[in-house]
Amino acid sequence: MSEQNDYIIEFRNITKKFPGVIANNDISLGIRQGEIFALLGENGAGKSTLMSILFGMYEPDQGEIYLRGEKVKIKSPNQAAELSIGMVHQHFMLVENFTITENIVLGLEPEKKVFGFPVVDIKGTDQKIKDLSHKYGLDVNPTDLIEDINVSTRQRVEILKMLYREAEILIFDEPTAMLTPQEIEFLLNIIKNLQADGKTIILISHKLYEIKQVADRCAILRHGELIDILDVKTTSTQEMANLMVGKQLSLSLDKSESKPGDPVLEVENLTLDNELGVEIVHNVSFKIHAGEIFSLAGVSGNGQMEIADAIAGLINVKSGKISLNQKEITHATVKERIESGISYIPEDRQRFGLILEMPLAVNLALKSYYKEPFSQKHILQENVFLEYSDNLIKQFDIRSGQGSTTIVRSMSGGNQQKAIVAREIDLDSDLLIFVQPTRGLDIGAIQAVRKRMIDERDRGKAILLVSLELDEIMSCSDRIGVIYNGRIQTVAKADQITREEIGEAMMGVGNHGK
Amino acid sequence: MLNNIIIDGLSFALPLLIIAIGGIYSERSGITNLALEGLLGFGAFCGGLFMAFFSSHFAAANVPVYLSLLIASIGGTIYAALFATLCIVFKANQVISGVVINILSVALTGFLTRQINQNFFNQPSDKFQIGVFPRTSIPVLKDIPVLGGFFNNFYLFEVIILILLAITWYLLYKTRFGMHLRACGDNPQSVDAAGIDVNKVRFKAVLISGALSGIGGMCFAYSISANFSPTIYMGAGFLAIAALIFGNWRIMPTFVACLIFGFARSAGNEIGKAMQLSSSFFDLTMTLPYVLTLLLLIFFSDTNRAPRALGEIYDKGKR
Repeated sequence: MSEQNDYIIEFRNITKKFPGVIANNDISLGIRQGEIFALLGENGAGKSTLMSILFGMYEPDQGEIYLRGEKVKIKSPNQAAELSIGMVHQHFMLVENFTITENIVLGLEPEKKVFGFPVVDIKGTDQKIKDLSHKYGLDVNPTDLIEDINVSTRQRVEILKMLYREAEILIFDEPTAMLTPQEIEFLLNIIKNLQADGKTIILISHKLYEIKQVADRCAILRHGELIDILDVKTTSTQEMANLMVGKQLSLSLDKSESKPGDPVLEVENLTLDNELGVEIVHNVSFKIHAGEIFSLAGVSGNGQMEIADAIAGLINVKSGKISLNQKEITHATVKERIESGISYIPEDRQRFGLILEMPLAVNLALKSYYKEPFSQKHILQENVFLEYSDNLIKQFDIRSGQGSTTIVRSMSGGNQQKAIVAREIDLDSDLLIFVQPTRGLDIGAIQAVRKRMIDERDRGKAILLVSLELDEIMSCSDRIGVIYNGRIQTVAKADQITREEIGEAMMGVGNHGK
Repeated sequence: MLNNIIIDGLSFALPLLIIAIGGIYSERSGITNLALEGLLGFGAFCGGLFMAFFSSHFAAANVPVYLSLLIASIGGTIYAALFATLCIVFKANQVISGVVINILSVALTGFLTRQINQNFFNQPSDKFQIGVFPRTSIPVLKDIPVLGGFFNNFYLFEVIILILLAITWYLLYKTRFGMHLRACGDNPQSVDAAGIDVNKVRFKAVLISGALSGIGGMCFAYSISANFSPTIYMGAGFLAIAALIFGNWRIMPTFVACLIFGFARSAGNEIGKAMQLSSSFFDLTMTLPYVLTLLLLIFFSDTNRAPRALGEIYDKGKR
């Protein structure tokens, strides 16, 4: 207790229960002034709950919080802000049709007088925001509208919001879940700049390498319990992973040599426009054989998502040809494609993969409900849905509150993804398209999804994997195509290309004149 | 004839505008407002009732027409409070609440007008006499060819509406309150996170929409019939909604839309007269503003963007 004075925040015996779950069980930990403190744990381990308590969104059932040595009761986010605590949420809180400056000052607008009338002074504040942005290397243009800027810039606006409110303790909730590798580097640098300026930073994450890269200390939570507090520099990522999951977890995948068969998917000279009518994919050709995983690597926005959408039939083909098992499907409807053997695991699982307000059983039958035995003489057979769903739940280990009747919205991200994977695999299609299949999932779920993908390959399926994560590409693929600016730069067998070579191709290096 | 088109067009367009601005306030804060028709009717009823009582007690010479606008505006505000309570406090569906408010207003004001006429003025009538609103012309300017019509024989309430236009524009785009209001219609969560009470802002916005609609309703009562009667419910509230949608939920473009509607209507009227149509065909030329509404709807609905959180009930817990 002698060192309690250098803690800026101290949690003492925090317990928080929700119906049926103990989210935090008797957690005590201290965070030092000026450090980067990471909270590591799988989804549902209680990280976000603990931080929500600090930010005044929940009240703890038991326990106390000490801030700068004084006991505080934080009842609302506003009060947290007054105590100079700021939080960047996973879902940004920004007004789309306002400028960056307008968003930052919202709630604390500076005023000036024009002919004696109070007027919100936006122009005069732009420079102040610019200076603040420059100071921490945030690089935003204060007069841009939010609707015109990308995810990474939006996140930096959220950071500026906290800085404008002079927050000293900054909480980042899974800040890199939506970012590309370059953007992640950029953000981690910003976080280091903030630390250099004396801010205290709490980083909620389940990405080990980020924690390893920036954090000083790291607390590991599992099932609501504090497992350990570690010094990051002296702990290996493997140790952290084991503590987080609670069992020996192999970070590498067991994968045998692929035995490619006949080509299943053939894409020839595919050219696509994006939704604004700008040509985004130029003349792309590739083949995927049965029993192989072909992946498209690349930085976000280089056309890879559009290629996947075009194969699945979600966007129109401008020119070129797509064939499945030697049959042309370039202009087939989505339903025809599904029936001729394409499964699709979309990037945005909540918008394109699931109907969130409907029960799990319905979601699992979304692509087969109209066939026998689900539908008999145009009448849906509820018991068939439930039976089928119970079976998939068991087979794929999908966890949910009320089994087949659970409303999908209430399930965790990892289990939602497992449900989509289960549905798509059970269609028994020849081609499976996985787009960012492990985005936002925790390590356990990531391993499960990747293992399923490899199992399907071994069963002779052709698999297209589109991912922004190089680790995923390296550990799963048999062949890799690197896409840059709508063109495939290079195609190579996975064991014949290095990370560095892929990285260079992703940035368009070594691209002659094209 | 051109002179008449301008004079009648303006006297229709400006009351329509003030109602549409009322709608903009409500919708930019995120509350779908189909209740404009009911709000303007109830406001006009209150103003009409005030005038009826006043002229029965005092000499008709100094009827306080300006005060009647204020009373109508207060009436509209009170009635809007009912709408706001339904859809903000009780979180009722905004479309249904709006429709209910409209139906209730038609029935209630009709009923009350008859009862009050019978019991206080001893005459079975569904109208309140409200007198005439003063008109004026600006010398010299009114004699300019073509454009002179804008300065000729206009109602003084048109000037009041132009002043209100300036005030409401300033309030919506230049002040803290206006900024909070616009933010509520786009992303209420972010407003809440900034420590501002979303429901309070929205409640105020709906009250303002009632106040402005009340004034607009009273102006219509003066310009169309010189009395308050159920003919006030002629669809101006819905036309105002169409105008604010063409105006992309922004005040100045909505002003232009209202002028187009106003002139289309007065032109339809003049065309009908000039062609000496029988009354059954006359109605046909009077459909001009509505046909125009349909046509504009086809061209504009693509580029228009409603406030993102329009119609969304704000619930703190839901993210």
